[in-house]
Amino acid sequence: MGKYHHLLLSFLTIIAAVSPLRGHSETVVPDTITTGTEQKVGEVTVTARKSPVRVSAAMPVQAISGESMSELGIQNMADAVRRFAGTNVRDYGGIGGLKTVSVRNMGAEHTGVSYDGAPVSNCQGGQIDIGRFSLDNVSMLSLAIGQSEDMLQPAKLYASAAVLNIITATPEFEGDRCSAFEVQMKGGSFGYVNPMVRWWQKIGDRVRTSLDGNFMRADGNYPFTLVNGKHVTRERRSNSAIDSWHGEANIYYDMADGGELQVKGYYFYSKRGLPGAVTLYNPISTETLWDKNGFVQAKYRKEFTPQWRFLAIGKYNYGWNRDREYGNRFEGGMYQDFHTQNEYYLSASAEYKPADGLSIALAQDGIINKLKSTIGGCPFPTRYTSLTALSARWRHGILTANGTLSGTYVTEHVKSGDKPEDLKRLIPSLALSVQPWSSEMLFFRAMYKSTFRTPSFNDLYYDRIGNRTLRPERANEYDLGVTWSRSFFPAMDYFSVTFDGYFNNVNDKIVAFPTTYAWKMANFGKVHITGIDITLATAFSLPYNVNLALSAAYTWQRALDLTDKSSKNYKAQLPYTPEHSGNAGVTVKTPWLTLGYSLVGVGKRYYLAQNIPVNEIAGYVEQTLTLGHEFKFEKCRLGLRGEIINLADKQYDVIKYYPMPGRSWRLVANVKF
Amino acid sequence: MKIKNLFSLLFVCAVGFAAVSCSDDDDPKWNDDGSKVVLPEHRMFILNEGSFNLNNACIEFYAPKKDADIIDDIFYKQNGVRLGDTAQDMIGYKGNIYVAVYRSNYLAKLNAACVEETRVSFIGDPDLQAGIRYMAAEDGYIYASFHGGVVAKINAKTLQVEAKLHVGSNLEGVAIEDDNLYVANSYSQGESGYVYFTDVFVIDLRTFTKKETLTVVKNPNDVIEEDDKVFVISHDYGRESYVLQMIDPAANNSVKELCYATQMAGGNDMLYIVDSRTDYSSKPWTAHNTFSTYNIKTGKLNQTSFLKNAPVELGTASIYMMVVDDETGDIYLGVTHYADSNGEMYRFKKDGTFVEKFDCGGQNPRRAVFFD
Repeated sequence: MGKYHHLLLSFLTIIAAVSPLRGHSETVVPDTITTGTEQKVGEVTVTARKSPVRVSAAMPVQAISGESMSELGIQNMADAVRRFAGTNVRDYGGIGGLKTVSVRNMGAEHTGVSYDGAPVSNCQGGQIDIGRFSLDNVSMLSLAIGQSEDMLQPAKLYASAAVLNIITATPEFEGDRCSAFEVQMKGGSFGYVNPMVRWWQKIGDRVRTSLDGNFMRADGNYPFTLVNGKHVTRERRSNSAIDSWHGEANIYYDMADGGELQVKGYYFYSKRGLPGAVTLYNPISTETLWDKNGFVQAKYRKEFTPQWRFLAIGKYNYGWNRDREYGNRFEGGMYQDFHTQNEYYLSASAEYKPADGLSIALAQDGIINKLKSTIGGCPFPTRYTSLTALSARWRHGILTANGTLSGTYVTEHVKSGDKPEDLKRLIPSLALSVQPWSSEMLFFRAMYKSTFRTPSFNDLYYDRIGNRTLRPERANEYDLGVTWSRSFFPAMDYFSVTFDGYFNNVNDKIVAFPTTYAWKMANFGKVHITGIDITLATAFSLPYNVNLALSAAYTWQRALDLTDKSSKNYKAQLPYTPEHSGNAGVTVKTPWLTLGYSLVGVGKRYYLAQNIPVNEIAGYVEQTLTLGHEFKFEKCRLGLRGEIINLADKQYDVIKYYPMPGRSWRLVANVKF
Repeated sequence: MKIKNLFSLLFVCAVGFAAVSCSDDDDPKWNDDGSKVVLPEHRMFILNEGSFNLNNACIEFYAPKKDADIIDDIFYKQNGVRLGDTAQDMIGYKGNIYVAVYRSNYLAKLNAACVEETRVSFIGDPDLQAGIRYMAAEDGYIYASFHGGVVAKINAKTLQVEAKLHVGSNLEGVAIEDDNLYVANSYSQGESGYVYFTDVFVIDLRTFTKKETLTVVKNPNDVIEEDDKVFVISHDYGRESYVLQMIDPAANNSVKELCYATQMAGGNDMLYIVDSRTDYSSKPWTAHNTFSTYNIKTGKLNQTSFLKNAPVELGTASIYMMVVDDETGDIYLGVTHYADSNGEMYRFKKDGTFVEKFDCGGQNPRRAVFFD
């Protein structure tokens, strides 16, 4: 393992040594839409990073800013992501519950996550738990279906079916100040306490640093109503307490020759009870999960000439978890297992513009993943992955075309048993965008992307269940859409609407398959998904410094299981897939108060594959109301905000028998100085 | 004289017939107190295990004589509450149904119409918290195995736990023969993984003590008694399929390996056997079932299928249970689709002729009880 550490350190040193310098202000093209309020039509220069949301994007991109998330009272990453059209968030309830996101029903394993531009991975389980990311230092969250527009990105992000980009806040200083501090305290129902501190420091003209730390604890023992036929009882979730620590340190170096270097250190620790599903007549739950995750990543970006841009990323990621459960069915009355993952990641990409309107980019990633587990039969696998993505963009007249060819090579080594066959795969994508009238921000877009997901270590090697002959799960995405943005009158900042119809097919779906001896992972499933995503955003600047912003999203989706013609669930809607879902939000900013209101609505779903009434879960609407104000003093600003979550106290499950909290509250006090 | 005798005979017959009729009206064969539905005399109740974590275990009612409609979840209909999470076992004893629900961890006593009379929860007993598994009944007691290595002696009338015997680790199937309880000691789970045992304990029910440990093939699970013999299926993952063995109590509890089997059922002096294997040679993988019988009286294994005109799909279906109606000799095979959809029951006559197939009203049909 040591040699990989050395390799990574050498890479980071080389980057640091060759990095020149550059400012970070950017001019934003005026066609952005967000689900929130922070972007306006009209050419503006901002010191924040640009929003990735563009009506001109050939592939659907949605975004929400950190400020909007605060104003709308969004509680966590999963709560934010479920407001993007086309997403299906599986939330196992509570603050510490697992939260994963599937985009357009292709499965959570197909969704890539990037944190400040570097991919986040979980080779063991395949799915990323987005619940563990804090929103406190997030400046922008975006979801790109297909891939994001930025050509200078790692090859791994090109290879994902959708990418959730988490962008953290970068230090900004008012006037000639060299430092900035922020202290925040959140408190709320169910023993929720979440203090956060932040320190931004400028060192000379070229170096900025940031240090963020937060602690969060909650009892999580929220009440819920359990309906068991004629028995309707009030219960409380048990064994759902959580303690977590999260810290980040960043160094931003703006090099003299225009290069930018960001080095980030990240650490997360949590201990959480796993209450599990509500079991009728038996409330006992004794499982506890510990997680540790730390990584160091460095990102170097440079524009050598107007024709040449370069990006390099290096990352070392350490993941560890311990799962413990008590019970006398275990030897000695207790069972625990430990898992450790190490990842070594390097990526380099370059973009070249040989002619007006033509860009070509090449990205190359190299990844090493290792797993150690105490579960019997673990063969201690090591996976070597090479990813290459060649992409081109051509703009000519009314047409913009993007094409990508992505190649993946995976080989694995195991300490016992057979290793899976090497995986070699080429996947193409093509996206077109047409703007018929240059004076009108009206675009028509079309997208095709072929993608796949590599079997996870659990799929391949998990004791008895794993299957080393698995093939990748394949998916094809097709999208046709129209986007439009304009302002109809002076008080209207923008009005933007997007409409996308899509079709996805997933083949060779990796599912647990019953065999003589036990369940075994197999390439068995086949799914067709047809849907419509509609988003709408508008904002108004009204008299008396009143700003009003509205956003909404709606999804219609049919996700049909076509695996087995003879089965009762042939052509049945996939479990946990509502046909209709949507959300809306409004914020009103006045000089005196900021008011936020949002709702999320989900139609009825089935929690099992067979679409019969007994397997239905009722739909729900959850509403959130926030009220806040920022007081400005001479040298500091004090923000106060109150939030009422689930205003109507609606009892609902996202996952059957994992009840969500009823009405709850939070208070947030924030001092910036 | 002859006419007088004839009238006397007719009178006696009439009185006798009336007496029989009155007896039927006044003294019903089964206790249906509290029932919200009228059920025929001949009844079959099918226990659906449901799916883990989904609290969807249920009991379906089926009328073997086809004189009433199927009721999908009769437990819910009669009691207004759900059965719970992951049902494990169900037996009929002295006109009552006893149902064990593993993850909800309780035992309920129901009358012959599935109306709950009483229940005992084991979640407050540290010895029994790991969950109830299988049951057998004799002399007014239910003997239940538990994960965590306990056999409980439970009063069949009151459901009070009157004694506990600590033996083994995670116990599975149980059967009673000649005042002895045969209990499968299956496996333990520790930090180093699963350890599979080769024990069948013999417990003397007169003293409620362990008197013998029999050695069988690794990981014994299913245990039944039929015609004074005890049959055990071991889930030995190192063999080509599960292993069926016979314990002969009359021969000093000798253990004999019979054949490979994944399901078994006793009835008609036979042991009906299914061996289900998955063909991994081509994709998608397919289960292939072979059906055979073991004649308990003659000790002969007959590898000719006991099914005559079975629907084709049964040859590749996942057979999750098998049961024989003692009264009619009819054979029922329960097929599972796991969490995908409800299971189905295939009914055959004693001679193997296919009768019908019906939906089980729930997932993973596991047990059935007849009232004939």
